[in-house]
Amino acid sequence: MGQLSLQQAVEDVPSLRAVFVTAMPDCLLYDSWVRSGEDWIPENIASYFGDLVRANREGLKGLHAWSAEMQVTIESADLLLVLRELRDFVIALAFERSAPLGMVRVHINRILARLSDLLPPLAPEERPRALLVVEFLEKYAPDPHAVMQRVALRTGISIEELRQPERLDAGQLERLEGSVKEILGLDALAM
Amino acid sequence: MSAPQPALREYLAEHDLMLFGGAPAVYHCHHFNLFLDQTIDDALGQVAGERLRFSAAREFAHDFLVTACAREGATTPVERISVAQTLFAAMGQGKLQLSVDPAGGQGRGEFLHYGYSWFEKYGTKVKRLRPADAFAAGFAAAANEVAFGLPLGSTNAVEGFCIARRDPHCAFTLTAGSPTPAGPKVGAAEIRANVRPAFTGKSEDEVVKIAAGLRDFTASVRGDHRGLVQAFGVYVTLHLSGYYNRISFDAVRHIEATTPQSVGVLEELLRESGHVCVFNTFGGILLSPEWEGMVGKLSGDPTQVVLGCAAIARALGFGHWTIADLQPGRRLVMRSPATYESAYFIARHGRAARGNDYFFQGAVLAVAQLAHRVDWKSKPKLTQEFYQSLFRGGIPWRAEQTRGIAKGDEMSEIVVSSTNST
Repeated sequence: MGQLSLQQAVEDVPSLRAVFVTAMPDCLLYDSWVRSGEDWIPENIASYFGDLVRANREGLKGLHAWSAEMQVTIESADLLLVLRELRDFVIALAFERSAPLGMVRVHINRILARLSDLLPPLAPEERPRALLVVEFLEKYAPDPHAVMQRVALRTGISIEELRQPERLDAGQLERLEGSVKEILGLDALAM
Repeated sequence: MSAPQPALREYLAEHDLMLFGGAPAVYHCHHFNLFLDQTIDDALGQVAGERLRFSAAREFAHDFLVTACAREGATTPVERISVAQTLFAAMGQGKLQLSVDPAGGQGRGEFLHYGYSWFEKYGTKVKRLRPADAFAAGFAAAANEVAFGLPLGSTNAVEGFCIARRDPHCAFTLTAGSPTPAGPKVGAAEIRANVRPAFTGKSEDEVVKIAAGLRDFTASVRGDHRGLVQAFGVYVTLHLSGYYNRISFDAVRHIEATTPQSVGVLEELLRESGHVCVFNTFGGILLSPEWEGMVGKLSGDPTQVVLGCAAIARALGFGHWTIADLQPGRRLVMRSPATYESAYFIARHGRAARGNDYFFQGAVLAVAQLAHRVDWKSKPKLTQEFYQSLFRGGIPWRAEQTRGIAKGDEMSEIVVSSTNST
């Protein structure tokens, strides 16, 4: 979908500040529209929405309360953010905080109907797990500039080898995942 | 920033190394403290890393407290515990309350420097699984040993609750341990014996003048009610340099023996602890109203920044940093006849095979970055985002240690050159 098509799908929606379309399961930015005057950088944001929806989905499944119509609504000081799943995508819609919730729901339904026609079926790209692990780490690690050195020190895998994670063997991948979990303080990597 | 007990603080006049209560000491910020501790855990694994950090803290706090209690005339256990708690808070380490007897007891920590600053810096980003305050644990164990006249190693301490793990406070359990022989002593005498003849560098008069002013300033400020020293955008500690040195060099030796292929990344991370420290702390000082009042506004001239950094380093007890060469945009060479790292290394380990002033290496690289990559006139905020932005596209400088006191040279020398000029 081109920028023009997404823009056409949302341009008449009042109070809408941005739309981010994240392709799942890799949490990669697929498309976006940001209202003029906003300084958001979609590439820096979109993947977090995918993670957020995935975590929410798993949590609701644990509560036996998940449904395909699930919606995440976040009300911050100056922003109303709504996340919805649409087939292989997560759609994040950022509204002005003052927008009435009832009207927001109406707008969302209309936008999703339009996007449903526009967004293509997506064949998830098969990517090596080690690559996903490294991407996950770089996205969430504190001090990302030094994190690969930390992994190298923890695992004994050289920096050069870590630069090509898809070539790591099974034992190295296990050490890599272990070190990433320790660095991030996680029991499991939700990828 | 605080100089908790000015009467206890002294400098080696020509070498700008600091002693606190007779123990080798330096000022360091939470960025350095957290990154260095983290690197030790990365190198040794979290459990062994904690053990080393605890042992190093206990060893150097033990010597420090023996001397401090003698100076204060503290002869009873209650008096000695009181001295330890007071000094701990005065050093900017937070508040530690001990309820102990010779067999052990309990400790409670509030606003402990490591746990508190870790949570503030990282707590919203990652979850911490292990406690953060091995230094406080070692200090508590040492306080118990000194209070009851026990030899080093007689007390162990484990942190069961830690604010960095979202517990409401920090808590320690102290138990009896086994006396441990200390390594070769590294006290004031050993430091004095392992410096080289002093020399001067460029802009020496100005550097000396600013350093003296900064020392006066740090001597007049006190820590706050939390036992923390918060200034220049960082949390500052007056710290025992033996702690830093032992954990760094023991970790290097461990990696050399077990996974020698990883020595390079360990050394890189040790340098980074110096880099993050100087960028944030020196940068914060240079941007402070106090600096402007004492030295004047920064014009953005790299020379002004570099000489300011040399003065700050001397005031913080890092050694007699001098500017040997500065070609703005191209090259910076700094030298010192004494660093807190080399003095320790020689005293404890003898001669080094290679330059190993890791902090000095990272620090001079950061000085070059501060001199050339910060728009001082706009008074930027030195945020984490700004710091991370320095690394995008690669750092346009490389640092190299060309001489080292610990390997037998008359000085330690760091050469930083632009990667764009070759």
